[in-house]
Parts: sequence; structure tokens; C-alpha cells
Amino acid sequence: MLVKLAWRNIWRNKRRSLIVTGSVVVGVVALIFIDGLNNGFLSQMLFNQVNLNISHIQIHKKGFNDNKVIQSFIPDKAKVERILAHNKKIVHFSERVIAFGLVSSAISSSGVYILGINPDDEAKITTISKSIIKGEYFSGKQREIVIGNKLAEKLKVGLGGKVIVLSNRPDGSIGSEVFRVTGIFKSPNSEFNKAYIFVPIKTLQNMLGLGNKIHEFAIITTDYKVTEDVKNEIRNQLDESYEVLSYRDILPLLIMQMELYKETIYIINLIIGLALLFGIINSMLMAVFERINEIGVLMAIGMKNGKIFTMILLESLFIGLLGTALGLITGIGLTELISIHGIDFSLFAESLENWGIGAVIYPKLTLENLIAMLFMIPFITISGAVYPALKAIKLEPVYAISYV
Amino acid sequence: MEILRTENVNKIYEDNKVPVHALKNINLKINKGEYVAIAGPSGSGKTTLLNLLGTLDKPTSGKIYFENSDFTSKSRKELSEFRLRKLGFIFQAYNLIPVLTALENIEFSMMLLGVPEKERRERAKNLMAELGIDGLANKRPNEMSGGQQQRVAVARAIVNNPRIVLADEPTANLDSENGSKLLDLMEKMNEEKNITFIFSSHDKQVIERARRLILLKDGRIVSEN
Amino acid sequence: MKLLLKLAWRNIWRNKRRSFLTLLAISFATTAAIATRGMQLGTYAVNIDYAVNMFSGYLQIQREGFQENPSLNKAFKLNKLILSILKKNNRIKSWSPRVLADGLISYKENSQGAAIFGLNPQTEKHTTKIFTRIKKGKFFESDSSNEIIIGYKLLQNLKAGIGDTVVILSQGFDGSLGNLKFVIAGTVKFGSPGIDGMGVFMPIKTAQELLALYGRIHAVVINLYDTYEIEKTKELLSEKLHGTGLTVLDWGEIMPDFKQAIELDNVSGILMLFILMVIVAFGILNTVLMSVTERFREFGVTLAIGMSQIKLMILVFLETVFLTLIGIFLGNVAGYFINLYFVRNPIEFSGELSSLYEEYGFLPVIRSTLEPSIFLNISIAVLLISLFVTIYPVYKVYKLEPLKGIRYT
Repeated sequence: MLVKLAWRNIWRNKRRSLIVTGSVVVGVVALIFIDGLNNGFLSQMLFNQVNLNISHIQIHKKGFNDNKVIQSFIPDKAKVERILAHNKKIVHFSERVIAFGLVSSAISSSGVYILGINPDDEAKITTISKSIIKGEYFSGKQREIVIGNKLAEKLKVGLGGKVIVLSNRPDGSIGSEVFRVTGIFKSPNSEFNKAYIFVPIKTLQNMLGLGNKIHEFAIITTDYKVTEDVKNEIRNQLDESYEVLSYRDILPLLIMQMELYKETIYIINLIIGLALLFGIINSMLMAVFERINEIGVLMAIGMKNGKIFTMILLESLFIGLLGTALGLITGIGLTELISIHGIDFSLFAESLENWGIGAVIYPKLTLENLIAMLFMIPFITISGAVYPALKAIKLEPVYAISYV
Repeated sequence: MEILRTENVNKIYEDNKVPVHALKNINLKINKGEYVAIAGPSGSGKTTLLNLLGTLDKPTSGKIYFENSDFTSKSRKELSEFRLRKLGFIFQAYNLIPVLTALENIEFSMMLLGVPEKERRERAKNLMAELGIDGLANKRPNEMSGGQQQRVAVARAIVNNPRIVLADEPTANLDSENGSKLLDLMEKMNEEKNITFIFSSHDKQVIERARRLILLKDGRIVSEN
Repeated sequence: MKLLLKLAWRNIWRNKRRSFLTLLAISFATTAAIATRGMQLGTYAVNIDYAVNMFSGYLQIQREGFQENPSLNKAFKLNKLILSILKKNNRIKSWSPRVLADGLISYKENSQGAAIFGLNPQTEKHTTKIFTRIKKGKFFESDSSNEIIIGYKLLQNLKAGIGDTVVILSQGFDGSLGNLKFVIAGTVKFGSPGIDGMGVFMPIKTAQELLALYGRIHAVVINLYDTYEIEKTKELLSEKLHGTGLTVLDWGEIMPDFKQAIELDNVSGILMLFILMVIVAFGILNTVLMSVTERFREFGVTLAIGMSQIKLMILVFLETVFLTLIGIFLGNVAGYFINLYFVRNPIEFSGELSSLYEEYGFLPVIRSTLEPSIFLNISIAVLLISLFVTIYPVYKVYKLEPLKGIRYT
């Protein structure tokens, strides 16, 4: 009964109710959109890095991640391979040799991270093979090298050009080799494009006298959500001389930023809610004052204060729910639509590419945040009705009935 | 001397999509200085007629002349000016502006005309004294009784020396004593200042005291004297 | 007009509670806007100041194309022309030459990537504050010794110590590889992972020797007296250097990602505020609309007695203007005090949050500013939005006919 009353009461003043609902819709759509963008932003940052290079899990000799020296090889390669092969949750893994060195062309030189990879394995776990913009990935010949577009520009080399790569051998001497550029890649991360080069693992091992030693296993699991479990499983099977790191361990700052963001979105929800609050309080106040006579009559015929209070709160709740529902539909629809093409932020391209996000951002929605909104906004609309509702039940029936 | 004339005036309006022929072929003449009451049962069209005479509404057909000038064809702006200078209104209720004092309410239309402050103030004060309401000068409407409000309304209506004062059910919300007092006041103004008064009312007192009575029934004039 | 003003003013206070709530909403929006913009812009200023004074300088002279593609051979000689231009311009406080290259630094079996900066300590001291970042040890005094200062993280990674000898390898101007021995004289801490983990500062003449530059440099870093002179000075210098193949860059062009990061934050801040104001605008709309429709009877009477439509519209308009102005005023006062507090007591982060900021090249500080343009711009924006919102209610008054008003229920 109360519900019916409350619902109908809203529509007595259509214009007012529509305006308040309108403000809730605007608030919700804005929140969804902001959330979508920020999420897209952060996810892109994370997943670009994971897919490009970091993968889900990395295994090294203990201490390698903090100090990437050439001498820190994986103690027992075969053992790790056996463990990884047996883990059903691992989709694929790849071996890498990692060294820091110098790459030089006739024109210029640059400091780079040299990654010695097995092209086929690597193609299954990272997106480098798909990021080739000129030339091709590896064809299996020795001394092929794949470099980033920014690096190619700096060195002024093109396809087929020759470069020299230098690095330290474990014994301290310098190892070098001449390579031929077979492919040029472009990733969303401009730093990566400048600083990473790929060569066949065997060639690098020979150049640096490593035999068949490697520095890193990069692993992709079935789903990023099981990563921590898999990491622990591997951890338990290896001794202290290894470090097993998930992408969360390798990018602690990014993970922290994402956690921080979850709290930030609550605050943003709150601020927008507060802005809505004023409009709602005012509106409900007027809705109450317009009906003083009527409320007086209701009280006179015996409707209890509690019921009147609830009725007014319900009216506000309905407006809040209506606005939130409409806002969710519009907001989600809008965001999904935009996420097809993404938003071009090329005005900020350099900055974004520096952070590895890429100049186009695809908004992304999370269920968590949407649900939070679904509860927060109606809650705020109810709060807005409390003061007016209190005023209503404080009325004296006798005066209320004849109020003019 | 004729001041107001209607020729075959008809008014049809829509009440929830149902057309209502409120006034049918009204022909009447009112002379300067007259004290006229338009009376009739509910729905007879008296308020409608008063509104037409006061330029607040336009007839569906027919013409209305004020001092021989056809004002059915005037624009909204012209009519507004006209009302300000030549007409005075007293409504049943809500006559006064709530945030102004009685004095200020009376000064209001003079302010709209741009009358200088000193003159305004004097004229308003004098009028209030004449009407015996100078004690209310600094009170706001919500501080006055219904009868007092209506008397202030009369002052407001005549302070600009209008040609005609139109009063729509002015005594409807008053008890008989206050109603009588109000009518005394208006008669006095009519006699002393030769202002034409046109009422619409179904109040017995008003009808009894009217010098000329126009009776309406179903939109037509059934008798007049 | 005076009448209208008086009426408008009194009308606002008829419904005190409603007016009060509306005022609160407007003040809230204004204060929130001033506080957040203050913090945003204040913090940018701190960061820009820091970056500019610390490292990049306000302007730099470089070879055309060097910024986009920093290759070693885009170098130039500090000839008489440039020297005289620099000397003659009185907005320039000081300047310092730099050499920039990549290399490899090795200590025993450890080698790490190095970002090499060749500096003249005497001129650099007056131009930037690099010298204040010394953590351990001492900065080199001469422009030709073999002492180097490296990032403290780099020292850690090399597993070296102050006083140790290292080898630096790099490719020279002529394409050959050169290497020289250096002694680590000290470490620096910038809070920027790039410099702390890879930075190597060496005397400029030694760098030129290592890189076979024969006296060439890559950049002239310029310090000005006044931040507001950047544009002007840049123009002047560019004119004088026209045709020499050299170009003048401001800090935004030297650190485009930094500038854009600031811009991105700026834009998102403005967007948020705009949304906030739109929501408050809805509330104002409702309030004004209601206060107008409530008074239709009164308006009807007023129009009947001959007040012109326009005057009535102006009246309603004035009411909103008054309310808005009061709200804006209150908001400005509150905002001023909030900003003042955060100017005197900036928020400083520590721990993880601090590292996050540094990772992005920002100082872990939030500070506000009392820059007048913030207060002005926000006040104007709130005023305009309020006025825009009034259009509909005023339109309703425009359409009102006396009879309709009088009969309104």
C-alpha cells in the first residue's frame, strides 16, 4: 500500500520528478564513464606489459629481478622445465637470455636490453610477433635481430641493415656480434620500442659464451586469475636459490595504483552523490510542503508517523532507483559503444605511450564498481529525504489540515 | 459619456476539450462614473465578462471599445501599458505582493510609471489617510486581516487615478461587516473621484447596493438597468 | 530598476530554507572547484619548477631534430654567434653546455646501461640544481677530470663503491667505440628512476674526448630570471638563430611526456568539475522553477495591474543572480582558506605512495595555490551555468498570461 502511494506521489509533479531523476541519471552516467575510462587506462597499462614482455610468471635465479647481471643464470634449467611441463594450468612457457648492452649502427648507438629468445615459444606467450610493422618476425636464420621502431629511427637502420651488438660476458670481457635487421616492431610502449631488442637465443648464448644457460622462464597461465596459485605451486617445488615472481610482484607500483584506484572511485562516487544531495533535499522538501494539508489529513485519519516517514523515504528511493537504472542503461550502453573504437587521446600520445598505454583508450567496466554505484546512489537519495520526512512527521495534524 | 462598449461579444473557451460558450452576443454600454454590478448564478459568465472588460482576455468574436478606441486588436505590450495607466484591479484574494509593505504595494504601480519618490510617497500616504488605513503603512500582507488587505487593494487600484476599477468578487472572502465596510469605501471613491466601478459578484450585499445591475444567465444578459 | 532589485532581494528570503539549501549547493560546488583546482595547479607548479630548475632548464638550444631523435652526431659547436646571442639577452640568468650519450658502464664483471651527461660544473652550478642532489661524496669541480657522479641505484647495481674505478664504453662521433676509465667521486639521488638507475655525470671535456666530439655539444641549458619570460625569450632566440640549423625548445618540448602527463591530469580535473557543476545546476533549476511556479498567482496579479512581461522576467532573473552571487562569494571565501592552508601545509607522501609518484616523474607532494585566475575562472563558470539554468524558468514567466497565473493551481 505504501509502495503504491509512494510511487504515485512521485508523478504528481512530473516536471520536478523528471528534473531530479535527470540529475541522478547525469551523475550515474558520468560515474560510469569516468570509471570506464580509468579502468581502461589502468588495464591497458597492465595487460600491455603482461602481454608484451612480462607474462604472468617469471622464474629466475634469486636476486635477478633487482639486479640483472649476466652471471645470474637459472641454476637447473631442466628441473624447472620438468616442473612447468607438468603443471596443467600453464599454457605455455618460454626461455630467455637477458643482457644489457649496446647496439650500434654506422650512425649511432644506444643502450638496450638484449633478449635472446626462442622465436616459436616466444610467439606463443607474447605479442611481439604480432607487433611487427615492417619486415617479418624471425625466419630461423642465425644473426637475425628484431628491433623497435624508435630504435630503428635513432640508429637510422632499415630492414636488412647491419648492427653490432655488444655486451659483457660473465668473465668481464666484451662479446659482440653483427646482426641483420629482419623485422621492426611497434608496441604501445614507447620506452619498450627504444630499449628492447630480440635475437635468437642460441646466437646470444654463443656471443656471450653462455653455453646453454638462460636467465629467465616466462610463463603464461590459463587465466590471469589463477596466476597466484600457479606461482605458489611452482614456488613449493623449487628451493631457495630461485625466485618465482608473478606480474604483481614485478609491477608492484602498477598493482598498487590499481588498488588505490578502487578506493578513489568510492570517493568520486561520494562527491557526485553529495552534489546530487542538495537537489534531492530541496526537491523532497518542496514535495512535502506542497502536501501539508494532505499529510495533516492522513495523520488525522490515523496513519502513523512511521508510515508517513517511510512513505516519503520510499518516494525518494524510487526516484533514486529510477535515475540509477536509467543511468546504468545509458551509461553502460554509451561506454560499450565507445569501447568499440576507443577514444583517441593522441593529444597526450607521448605521455601515454611512455606509460605503455597507447594513444587509444578503450573504456572498460567492472562489475564491482557498477554494483557499488547501484547501492550508493539510491542510498544517497534516501538520505536526502530524511530531513524533509522528519519535518513532515513533526507536523500537528490540526494545523496541517488547514494550512494555507 | 460612454467609456466602455461591447459589440456582439462572444467568448468560447475549452474546458478539458469540451467547448464552453461562456458569453453569447453581449452588447452593453457603460458610462463614465457608473457603479455597475454584474451578477448571476455560478457559471453565468460574469467573471469571464469582467476579464474581457479588463483586457485580461480577448473575445472569440465581437469588439470592445474603450473611449471609442478598439482595444481587441491591441498587442500584449500595449494592453499592459493600458492597464497600468487606465485600469485598476481588485481580485478576490492574493491582491498584494507578499514581500512589500502596504505602503510599498500602493506605491507599486506609481513606481512602474516612474513617478518620482517624493511624489509617490505623498500620494500613497494621503490616500491611505483618506481611506483610514494609514496605520497599516509598514505592515506586510501576512500581518493584516483579510479586510485590511482588501482595503489596501482598493488603495492600490485607485492611486493612479484609473478610469475604471474592475473588482472580481472583492467581498467573497470577507465577513458581512468587513464586506460592508469595503463597499462603503468603494462607493465613496466612486462618488468623490468619479471613477467608474465595475463589479462581478454573487454577494447579496453587492447586488443590493449596486446602482446599476446587469444580470447574466448562461452567458446572456437577461436584464439590466 | 531599483524596484526590481528590491523585490528580487526580498523574494529570495521568502523561503529561507530553500534559499539556504540552494546557497549551500552553489557554495559547495564553488568551494570544491576552487580547492581541487588549487591543488592541481599548485602541484603542477611545484613539479614544473622542480623539473625545470633541477634539470631541464627553462629553455634549451639544440640541433634541429635532436629532441625527437637524440643521436650522437646531432651535435654543434658553441661558436661566437651563439655565445654573443646568449650574452646579449638580458633575460637569461645563466646557461650551461651539455653533452648527451648512451653507454655501458662496467665495474669488474658487472655492466649496466648508462645515460651519460657531460657537464661543465662551473656553469651548471648557476644554471640548474643538479649539484644539490648529491647523496654521497662530492661533485667534480673541473671540466676535464675523470671523476664521475652516478645515480645511487646504479652504484648499488654495479656493486661498486665511492673511489672505485670503472670503465665506460660508448660509440663516438666518428662511429668508433671509445672507452675510458673513470673514478666514482659520488652519488646522486633525484627520485627519478631513470637518473638514479642509469645516470652518469661527467666533466664535459672528458665526455667530448670519450665521444670524439672535438668540442661539440648537444645542448645549451638556459636559466631565466622569470618564468613568464619563457615564450618571449624563446621567440627572440629563435629569431636570432634562424638558419643555423639550431632550434630553441621550452621545457614542455624537452619533456613532452611530463608536460602531457600534467595536461592529462589537468583535463580530467576540469572534466570532473564540469560534471559536478552540471549536477548542481539541475538542483538550481528545480529550485528556481519551483519558486517561480509557486508564485504564478502573484505574478498573474502583478501582470494584471500592468507590470510588463519583461520586467517580471528580469525580476526572476535577478533573484537567481543574487543567490548565485552570494553562493559564489561564500564559496570563494571558503575556497580561499582551504587553499591557503594547503599552500602553507602541503601534503607530503611517504612510503609506497611516494614511490608511485616518483615512478611517474612527479614529486610526492600536493600543494595548493592562491593564483587569482582560479577564483575568477571558477566564479565566472558557476555564474554562467547558473544563468544558463535560469533560461527555462524565465521562459515560463515569458509565456505567462495574467489570467493563467491568477487561475493557477
